[in-house]
Order: sequence, then structure tokens, then C-alpha cells
Amino acid sequence: MNKLLNRPLKVFTLYALLVLACSIPVYYFIVDYIWRNELDEYNEIVKSRIESGLNKLSLDKDEWAQTIALWNKTQPGTTIEKSVLKESRPDSIYSIMRQKQSANEEDLERFRGLSTYIRVNEDIYHLTIEINVEEAHETVFAIAAVTMFFFIILLAGFVILNRRIATQIWKPFQSTLERLEAFDLNSQNNIDLEKSDIQEFEQLNQALYLLIAKNISVFRQQKEFTENASHELQTPLAVLKSKIDLLMQNESLTESQSELIASLNIPLSRVSRINKNLLLLAKIENHQFSEGELVNLTELVNQNLDFLEEHLIAKNNTVEMEICEHCVVNANKSLVEIMLVNLLLNAIRHNQENGMIKIQLTNKKLTISNTGNSSLNKETLFKRFINSSTNTPSSGLGLSIVKEIANRYHWHVDYQFVNHFHQFSVKF
Amino acid sequence: MKILIIEDEKELAHNISAYLSDENYLCEFAETFQQALEKIEVYHYDCILLDLMLPGGDGLKILEQLKKQDKQEGVIIISAKDSLQDKIAGLQIGADDYLAKPFHLSELAARIYSVIRRKQFGNSNIIKLHELQIDLLAKTILVNNEPVILTKKEFDLLLLFIGNKNRVISKSALAEHLSGDIADMLDNHDFVYAHIKNMKKKLVDAGYRNYLKTIYGTGYKWEA
Repeated sequence: MNKLLNRPLKVFTLYALLVLACSIPVYYFIVDYIWRNELDEYNEIVKSRIESGLNKLSLDKDEWAQTIALWNKTQPGTTIEKSVLKESRPDSIYSIMRQKQSANEEDLERFRGLSTYIRVNEDIYHLTIEINVEEAHETVFAIAAVTMFFFIILLAGFVILNRRIATQIWKPFQSTLERLEAFDLNSQNNIDLEKSDIQEFEQLNQALYLLIAKNISVFRQQKEFTENASHELQTPLAVLKSKIDLLMQNESLTESQSELIASLNIPLSRVSRINKNLLLLAKIENHQFSEGELVNLTELVNQNLDFLEEHLIAKNNTVEMEICEHCVVNANKSLVEIMLVNLLLNAIRHNQENGMIKIQLTNKKLTISNTGNSSLNKETLFKRFINSSTNTPSSGLGLSIVKEIANRYHWHVDYQFVNHFHQFSVKF
Repeated sequence: MKILIIEDEKELAHNISAYLSDENYLCEFAETFQQALEKIEVYHYDCILLDLMLPGGDGLKILEQLKKQDKQEGVIIISAKDSLQDKIAGLQIGADDYLAKPFHLSELAARIYSVIRRKQFGNSNIIKLHELQIDLLAKTILVNNEPVILTKKEFDLLLLFIGNKNRVISKSALAEHLSGDIADMLDNHDFVYAHIKNMKKKLVDAGYRNYLKTIYGTGYKWEA
């Protein structure tokens, strides 16, 4: 994944490279043009100086010849020759590559020349002035080097500025992102985003506020619906239950009718259990249980085992206990008890006849295991309304409640099948 | 004995009344908050059954009103709310008992019986029934003046029967009475038989004539 700011950086860099690369020939032509112009001007100046200098001398013919010969020897770059032409011709300017006269180097040098005719004492002389010009490839090379140097400075500037912009300008965005990541819909706390003076970020924040407020309200409505629906169901259930109780008092009932009526109680209590459990789940999710106190787990396990003893005996189950003394957790006592009873009942209900139940408790972990034949599906075990066994009717919510309570206190619930034991554990 | 049923669900109120009417209980009804306030101000009752969610107001306000007027009625809250906080709130304001909906009528009858006994007899709460003497406070039993030791669960069952004389009590109601909230999570209610069998045996051994009849397939009935 690319960082957002790296994209324009890449494009800008490429664009800068392109512009600078194009600038190299342009610079070259401009520099060369100026260079040649200057030299041409210079040659013109030299020409007029020579012309006026020579005209001031008053020499005879022999002296002339000697002077010109001497001139041609001592003044490199200029040659004067007597022309046979009667009329002077227009000047011509040229560039030429030739070996340097002074050095004995191999490489060619570029020269800028002026070929002109001057009139001295009625005679016409052909004057050529040549001056050394920097060669094209050397100029190009120098320009390219300077351009590259600036490109590197530009690039370094881009990277540094980019980094600074990233940390400064994107700060409100980062903070919004962090708060969004930490946001928990379940906690129902409204989110508080950092104010920004950048219009786009402020727009984003406003949009997020709206979205989250809507979500929270939908979530709350849904929870309230579950809670209200469960509450509303309790009263008709109570009516139904009381009707069955009344009906049973009827003395004219036959035995089979009585049996039928009594059996109505079983599905009825299942419905009311499911209803109560849904309500409980909604309440846990709504954080309607007061915060924690120190709960003595050891005591709680022992109490509930006493209470459930007869059910253990009925199935001829043996209990093996490894329980630490005075182990406590910090949580809501009713919730801990609900969790514990759910786990214990789960172990008893799904245990085999003559099976065994193991309870291990340390300060860190509670494990409750019961004898079993094959592993259960860990994926769906804690999901709502998924029964892993078909032989006993249940609300299908017991383990979801355990999970929900554990989640609330950031405890970790786990299931494992070890040595023919279904092992449920809660890590505190 | 006069009982006021403050409950907006007519059906439920009448079922309760029908169940209780055989046992010298006279039931009156109040369906709204206002009706309830008027009735408690004018009349005296032995026991009040109070639903918390009433049209027109919160049932707890009625309870507060009762306590303000220094009335001595026993109050049993019957509510669809079943959280510990609701129970604590109700009991703190001065309710004598709290029963969450849905409940068995036998359970309610036993609670009414016990609340009224407590209000009427205070410190010497002893029920005498043929050769049976039950001390509700000390939780001890005499049969023909000989003590009989019952377990806590057997004692609880006995009280349920005493509070529902001549009524058929279903197995499910007995199981709920014994194991409270978790009864519906248990696969079978056979454990009820074991407790009743033991209780019966102890009482019969001590010379008590068997008043407890098994209604086949349904439950039990204490005939007195």
C-alpha cells in the first residue's frame, strides 16, 4: 500500500525531472547563442581596432610587408593578407573546428571566426580573426551537471517537506483514525474527534459524527427492542402459567388430561428461560450491571456445587476438585454466578451417566470439564441458538451468556476436547 | 383475609384470585396506579400483590406511599423485571417478597401464606396442623411433639404444601420451588421425587398420617 502523500511526490518528482531534462538543451542553445553573439561583437571590436591602428601608421611598402609578416607571426588568431580584390566584400562569420595551434594536443577546438576586408592606405586587406569557443559537448555537460545538482536538491527538498507535511497536516486525520479504531459501538459512548482547521478533515469529522450517531441510535433501538419484547412476553407467559395451574385444580379431569396439562409446563418453562436469557444478554450488552466487587470464587463454586449436588447424584457423576483457597476476581457477583452456574449445569446436563466432572480453579483460570465422546464444534459452540447436542432441550443461550460475561471483563473463554473430556475454561 | 391485587393484566389478576378464593382469601383488584392509591388509602388488606409496571405510574411509588402512611400490609412484588437491582430496590423500600413473572400460582400462594403468617404472628410463628407443629422461625418440626429433622429442601417443600392445602401442585412448580431460577435448565425433575419421598418417610415414621397424595402424572396434593 502506498502512502497518500507519496503519490503526488512521485508525480512531482517525475515532472521536475522532465522539465529539468528539457531545460538542458534550451539552456545550451541560449548560452551558446549569447556566447557566439558576444564573440562576434568582440571580433568586430578587434577588427575596428586593427583597422584604425593600422591606418594611423604611415609606413612605406617594405615596412608594410614586414609589419604584416610580423603581425601574422606574433598575433595568433588573426591573419592579415593583402587582397587582390579591388572592392571590399561583406563580412562573413563562421565557426570551425580545428586543432589548437599552441598545444600539440590531438583534440579539436572550436573557433569562432570573422572574415573581413579592411582598407588600409587605399589597399584592401583580408583580415581573419578567430577566437576559441567552448566546445558544445563541454557546455552541455556543464549545464547537465548543474541541472542534475539542482534536481537532487529539489528531490531532497520534496522528501523532507513531504515528511513534514505528512506529520503536521495529517495529524488531525491520524487522530481521527486512531479514535475510530478505538471506538466500540457496544460501549455506546459518543466519539470525540479532534477539531481541525482544514476544511476537508472537518467535513470528514462531521460526516463521521453523523454516521456514528446514527449507528449508536440504531444499535440502542435494537437492544431496547429485545429488552422490551422480552419484558412484554413475561406477562402473557405468566397468564399462561397461571391458567395451567388453575386447570390442574379441576377435579373432573381424567388422568391422561392431567398428564397432558402438566406436560405443558415443560415447553412453557423453556420459553420463559429463553426469554429471560435474551433479556440477560441484552442487559449485559447494555452494561446494565453495576461495576465490580471482589467476588470469592472458591466460595461461589462450593455453594453452587452444594446446590447442584442432587443432580450430580442423580446421574451418578463423580466430582474431582482442585480448587485454590480464597481465589477472588473483580467483577459483578450476579454475573460471575450466572457464568459459573451456566458452566456447571452445562457440564452436568451434557455429562454421561456415571461420568466425571472436574473442576479446577486457580487465581488465573477456572476449568470445568465433563466426560464426553467426541469433540464439539468450537466455531459454533458459543453462538446463540446453536445446540451442539440433540438429546437435551436447552435454551441455546447458556454458553453465549458465558461468553458475553467473559467478554465484558476481557476474560478468555475456551473449549478443548482432551482425553475424552469436554473442557471449558475461563482465563481471568 | 383480604388481598389486593394491583395488576394491569386482568387475566392474570383473575387467575390469581380464582386460585386463592378457596382458601378464605378475598381478592380485590386495582388495574391502574390511581385505583391502587385510592384503595390502599381507604381499605386495609392483609396482603398486597404489586405489579411494578402500571398504567399511570411506577409501582414502587405505591410502596413508598404505603410506608409513608405507616400501613402494616404485607407486600409481595410481582414483576416482569427480574434483575437483582429491581429486587433490592423493592425490598429496600419495604416489600416483604419479590416474585418474578412468570410464576406458578402455588409458589405465590405459599409466599402469601408465609407473609401473612409473619405479619400476624410475629415472633411465635408456629403452624399447628393435626399432629404436625411447624416453627417457621426456628425452622423445626414436631410430629406428636417429637422432633423430626428435615433437610432444608424437605422443609421448603413442606411449607409449599402447607401454603397450598387441597391444591394440586405440579412437579414443575415443585422443581422451581426447590431450585429457583435454574429449574428450567434441568433435564428432568426426578430429583423432586427423591426429596418428597424422603420427607414423607420421615414424617410417616414419626407417626404422622399421610395427607400428601400423589396425583399420578401430574404432581402432589396435600389434603387437609
